[in-house]
Amino acid sequence: MQTVLAPDFASPTLRQRMKSMLGVDFYRLFHTPMFYIFLAIAALIPAMVSSMGMMAEPGGTAAALFTNAWNIVAADTPLYVVHDIGEYANMNMVFIFGGIMVSIFIGHDYRSGYVKQLFTTHSHKSDYMLSKSLVCAFAMACMCGTYLLGGIAGGLFSGMAFHARVFPLLFAILGKVVMSLGWASLYTFLNVILRRQFGVSITSSFVLGTGIPIIGAAALVGNSPLLNVFLYGSSVNACLSSTIVTLLTCTLVSVVWAVIYNALGTLILARSDVY
Amino acid sequence: MNAIEIRGLSKRFGNKQAVDGLNMTVPEGAIYGFIGENGSGKSTTEKMICGLLHPASGSIQLYGKDHTDDAIRSQIGVLIEAPGCFPNVSVWNNMLLQAANLEIKHPEEEIAKVLKTVRMEGAASNKFKHCSLGMKQRIGIAMALLGHPRLLVLDEPINGLDADGMRIMREILTDITQKGNCTVLISSHILGELEKIATHYGIIRHGQMIREMTAQELEADCPTYIALRAGDGTGAKSYLEERYHRVAQEENGTLRIYDATRPEEVVSFLYEKGVTVSEVWTAKISLEEYYIDLMESRRAQA
Repeated sequence: MQTVLAPDFASPTLRQRMKSMLGVDFYRLFHTPMFYIFLAIAALIPAMVSSMGMMAEPGGTAAALFTNAWNIVAADTPLYVVHDIGEYANMNMVFIFGGIMVSIFIGHDYRSGYVKQLFTTHSHKSDYMLSKSLVCAFAMACMCGTYLLGGIAGGLFSGMAFHARVFPLLFAILGKVVMSLGWASLYTFLNVILRRQFGVSITSSFVLGTGIPIIGAAALVGNSPLLNVFLYGSSVNACLSSTIVTLLTCTLVSVVWAVIYNALGTLILARSDVY
Repeated sequence: MNAIEIRGLSKRFGNKQAVDGLNMTVPEGAIYGFIGENGSGKSTTEKMICGLLHPASGSIQLYGKDHTDDAIRSQIGVLIEAPGCFPNVSVWNNMLLQAANLEIKHPEEEIAKVLKTVRMEGAASNKFKHCSLGMKQRIGIAMALLGHPRLLVLDEPINGLDADGMRIMREILTDITQKGNCTVLISSHILGELEKIATHYGIIRHGQMIREMTAQELEADCPTYIALRAGDGTGAKSYLEERYHRVAQEENGTLRIYDATRPEEVVSFLYEKGVTVSEVWTAKISLEEYYIDLMESRRAQA
């Protein structure tokens, strides 16, 4: 009797799957005008904030937000509770614009029906979460770069002083850049769970990006280092008095939250209807 | 080996039982026409096969493997409702993205080939949003053909296609099943087109499979009848009912006699009664008529 055997189809490896998915996501990122618009916004905001110093004249009404140009990148010390906009206006703002960008980027996947094409192939839900988190983290890191350039240009233009020790400044900048991964994972997760409510996903990304929950918590518990375990807390902790420990803390917090959000997002995608 | 084997598949959306214990068998190499009313559960079943929806219960086996298996997922080509393309991206680049998802080795060659197959090579540089409905459907088919799939799942693929598009579709599906070792599951409301290509049929109602059959079985189930047009249609009908048991009249006046075998016998019978027959021919019940009769009988039973 002849036995009918199942055809021997090959399973793509994780490396193959990730390579193709990252390729597609990076292609999309570099070919969407939105990415460049957000890079420009990230550069313009610090330039505009720094330029407000130009308006500060003796007896004038406007006051300079900073005297030190590097404060547009990071505060002097970790301040979880902000008292004025000057304390708030630093590179952490990138994570707010970044949230909106991630919402639009992932929202396109669902509105165009692209996920339908993607998830009918061998792509895994975990690959999707990881690929989106990495690509969006890269985009936010680029925004940190243009923000830095915008801040420096604004500082030079307004004639502000540049006072900072090199290594703490470097640690602060790198600390904020590595936080991009954690933030991108949070936004990817939010947009996966709110994939059918585009408006809500943008709003929630914005609200969490502003760090309101941590600012509220800090108002209750004070400037506690315990808040550094959260994304906003660690982002604030990366300041002009940073050390290598700050950078390592930022890296650890970012990676741990990225793992948590990726795992949760994968679980939700795997247990719910995709499209 | 069956390409698709579904047992006891169920899916519920809120209060609506979309698919209810569905059983389905699609043999390898078949063009399986999946037929049913709107909301009968066709698209839901196809989405479950493709992994877009999670079944509440039941099993789906594709080529003997669970439908979630990576190895089999890379062998499926899909067109569900409309192709999932980025509107501001060109047709070619949308195809490139899907080719990357499928890890196709030489994407340019493959894309050029499938676009040529669906006669869309001239639209490659168009932005997807600028394509017409029919063009989008053809692009969706081209996308589903990328990577030489072993199983094609097509949900209403001929909607919006012009006559030429439908002909091309027929040629493609027949060709890939005969030469390409591919199986096709196709749902459509355009039964006349489906009848021309399908080798197997499955009829679904209220989420349950009410009939599965081969094209040969359908042929045997669809009786031949004698159709005629007479000067006095109403009179002719009453005469015919005296002699035959199964006589029906269409809206346009054409009379059908299901239990007569020889047209000349019917014509001479009416001639004897003084009725002139202007046209007479033999015909077969179409898939559409068969389907409508089946649905009506099910409704009557319900």
